Amino acid sequence: MTLHSSRPDARADLLHGTLDMLILRTLMWGPQHGYAIGQTIRAQSSEVLQVEAGSLYPALQRLAKKGWVTAKWGQTDANQRAKFYRLTPEGKKQLLREESRWSELVNAIARVMKPVAAPGTDE
Amino acid sequence: MGIRSWLKRRRLDQDDFEDEIRAHLAIAAEDKVADGADRRDAQLASLKDFGNVTLTTEAARRVWTPWWVEAVHDQFSDVRYAVRSLAKNPIFSLTVVGVLMLGIGLNAAVFTMLKGIALSPIAGVAGAARLAVVFAETSNGRPLSVSYPDYQYLRDHDHAFTGLFGSTVGRVNLGKGRSARQAWCELVTGNYFQILGVRAGRGRTLLPSDEIAPGRHPVVVLSDGLWRRDFAADPDIVGKTLEINNDFLTVVGVADPSFHGTTVVYDVELFVPIMTAPQLGFRFGSQETTPSAILSDRRAGVFEPEGYLRPGVTLANAAAQVDALSATLARDRPLADAAERLRVVPFWRAPFGAPLILLPTLSVLVAMGLLVLLIACANIAGLVLVRGLSRRGEIAVRLALGATRTRVVRLLIVENLVLALPGAVLGVLLAQRGIPLLVGYAEQLAAPQRIFFNLGVDSLVIGFAVLVACGSALVFGFVPALQSSRVDLVSVINTDATPRAARGGLRSGLVVAQVAVSLLLLVGAGLATRSVEAARTANPGFDPGQLTAISIDVKQNGYDEARGRMFYRKLLDTVRADAGIESVTLAEFAPMGFLDTPVRRAEIEGYVPRRGEDLALLANAVGPDYFRTLRIPLLAGRGFEDRDDDAAAPVAVVNGTLAERFWGSAANAIGKRVRLAGAGDWRTVIGVAADVKYSRINEPPRPYVYLPVLQWYRSNLILHARGGGPVDLLVEQVRARVAALDPDLPIMRASSMANAMRGATMLYDLMATMLFVFGAAGMALAALGTYGLVSYTVKQSTHEIGIRMALGASDWSVVRAFLARGVRLGAAGTVLGVVGALALTRLLGSLLFGVSATDPLSFARAVALVLGGVIVATLVPAWRAARTNPLSALRHQ
Repeated sequence: MTLHSSRPDARADLLHGTLDMLILRTLMWGPQHGYAIGQTIRAQSSEVLQVEAGSLYPALQRLAKKGWVTAKWGQTDANQRAKFYRLTPEGKKQLLREESRWSELVNAIARVMKPVAAPGTDE
Repeated sequence: MGIRSWLKRRRLDQDDFEDEIRAHLAIAAEDKVADGADRRDAQLASLKDFGNVTLTTEAARRVWTPWWVEAVHDQFSDVRYAVRSLAKNPIFSLTVVGVLMLGIGLNAAVFTMLKGIALSPIAGVAGAARLAVVFAETSNGRPLSVSYPDYQYLRDHDHAFTGLFGSTVGRVNLGKGRSARQAWCELVTGNYFQILGVRAGRGRTLLPSDEIAPGRHPVVVLSDGLWRRDFAADPDIVGKTLEINNDFLTVVGVADPSFHGTTVVYDVELFVPIMTAPQLGFRFGSQETTPSAILSDRRAGVFEPEGYLRPGVTLANAAAQVDALSATLARDRPLADAAERLRVVPFWRAPFGAPLILLPTLSVLVAMGLLVLLIACANIAGLVLVRGLSRRGEIAVRLALGATRTRVVRLLIVENLVLALPGAVLGVLLAQRGIPLLVGYAEQLAAPQRIFFNLGVDSLVIGFAVLVACGSALVFGFVPALQSSRVDLVSVINTDATPRAARGGLRSGLVVAQVAVSLLLLVGAGLATRSVEAARTANPGFDPGQLTAISIDVKQNGYDEARGRMFYRKLLDTVRADAGIESVTLAEFAPMGFLDTPVRRAEIEGYVPRRGEDLALLANAVGPDYFRTLRIPLLAGRGFEDRDDDAAAPVAVVNGTLAERFWGSAANAIGKRVRLAGAGDWRTVIGVAADVKYSRINEPPRPYVYLPVLQWYRSNLILHARGGGPVDLLVEQVRARVAALDPDLPIMRASSMANAMRGATMLYDLMATMLFVFGAAGMALAALGTYGLVSYTVKQSTHEIGIRMALGASDWSVVRAFLARGVRLGAAGTVLGVVGALALTRLLGSLLFGVSATDPLSFARAVALVLGGVIVATLVPAWRAARTNPLSALRHQ
């Protein structure tokens, strides 16, 4: 008997989607390898978002499958072997879509949570 | 991009991925070393940070796997697991498979019959069930065949059908002299094979060009069976000449091997153009019309035209169109006494067809089959439930490990399906083995007539069986599976106490249901058995013992009326002179022949028919001494004698029912007059004979007229002789006399009257046999189910029994406790079953004879059997429980 379900449910989609967006965003500044991506997200979120390798690598595979990133082996600054991920033009478009969707969502949540505040107080 | 790299892209590159993880770990470790950690610690820490490598790889792999591959993989692992777990419990698995086999086998057999009669009635013709049939109807609903000229008009003017063909079946004499044999022959229109889509296996089929003018198409198509049996599959058969009814026809082809004609139940061996009807001497039961006029007389019903409706045309549309045509026909070419209107019905409802006769019987069998299936399902539900209870530990562990309930229910259902398939396969095999037995029995009863049932077990039957098996496994495995999955983790893990109330309820319900349904089946079987007994001992109105029935048709050796009369005269004289012969006579029809003989329009002196009434009577041409030979009592007047011949005044004998209905009493009937269509002028009634069962033992009293054969010649007659000694010797003796008189005259059938009557009780016999099988199967299943459920209850209570016995309870008191419960459930089931039976047995209606639908004896027997079964099924496990050692019972945990 297997413990996983055969198709990802809606909740997982949302989580996957968010992680995917974060990864794509991280790659905006240039190719990076898996470990660096995790570290960047962690640093940028002031240590709040800890991306586990168990989620990160399947997510990278998912993005590669969709054609939003490509991977290539290379050398790090410290001369270590690593697989670098690069954003494709298709990936860039997807990132833009994700971003607008995300800000819509955040605005909507903000309106619900702070009904008296003026829209756009998420800054 | 090459195909290989594309393939690679479609799935995870395992080595590359592992490489990447190694790189990740190395970088992470280096990072930590840079922060001042010890190299070894850094490596361990980065590994720890990474988490589960295997799970990550697995998750990455799943990104690339299509969802359906995964679902199939899941199912396979379920099936594998189910097979393994079922193999561990062979008794349970074999019981379920056996129960399903029985339930499905009986239903598959019944379904095969239903298929052969209604769903796919014509072998070798796909979609034959969609055929629609046109027939004429008199004002009071008596169905009539359509004449050939009217058929031609319909065929040429109709727009509702893609085409209308006609076919009528008749018995012909194949060959000449003593080697001649009888065969069923269909006289068909030229478009018959084309509309049906039946091809020739060899040569050609009949074509529209074989329907131009009478006498111009002396051709015949053989059935594959006839070609193989009588001609040893002669490859040069096409072009040979065949003698049929003393006429010579050229073989033009052999029909497709799967095709047996369109007359359900008959094994048709010859197909000839309808245009050969006059030369073969066919009258289609219309004695008024000479053979040569049969194709031009609009009063001579020949067949019921049939065909496929055009796409989009409903039966009602077709009926309206055909009715309009018939109205036009009536206006343009008026015909006195014409049938009132034309009707269109689906093939299985065609008048005179076997499906219409057999369907009531079959529907009872279908109902019985479903009841057996119901018991089988209750049985399986009980087994699954019991098994589920004993697996509570396993299920609890699964749930504790995080399996969802859906997942557990799915697993249990997969287990049921794994059992359902072998059940279905074995059930189909059972049906496949059982049907030939039944068919063989029917063939024996019908001999020497050849019959054919389209009873092959084909994909339709197999599909039905698999569907039923999976359906029952799903539906009846679902509730118990749901129950089993509703396990309270804490209670299972802490103690082994069973939450009794709910499950006990379902279990009891299953016992009650099985008892009730099996009672219903047994009552049905009992009533059928009693009917057969009653039918066997019932008085048919004449004495069939020591009586022969020898059928001949002198026309088959080319006799005309004058020579025929002479032959019969001589035959009567020689047989009468024989030693040991008491009396001898002739008759057109023998009583108790099962099928109704034709009726004729009649006029009765002193009776004014109601407006539009279509008075028609059964009639029989009989010889002198008829009533004495058959020992039919005369209520008034006299029977026919030698002097009632052509030269004498026309006379008739009527039966008691006719005399009473139209003239008040038997005595009043003498001297009154009747007139039958096609049987000459008014006839004076000279005698009244007591009623006889003319076709079937269960028929209602019907008016009947006897005419003297000396005044109304028939070429086909049955010789009845009564004498002493063994009846088989008597039959041989009379047959020898016929052969001595004309060695070349074929004898169609020579048997004792008792044997000849067997066909009339055939349906009862078959029905009773089937019902008995169903009853026995139902009873066995119900007993098995009860035994299983009770013995399980007993097993569950081992602990309780141990305590009771340790406290001093006797064996007997333990047995009594269980027995009381079993009997209570049995009684509840019996009451339900009796109520159900009282409501349902009346549906058996016409299938019962000489026994009321509420026959107390049948009910009492069934109740005794069922209760006995329940008591035995309870007593055995209870007794075993009582004999357990209290200590071992207590130590059980």
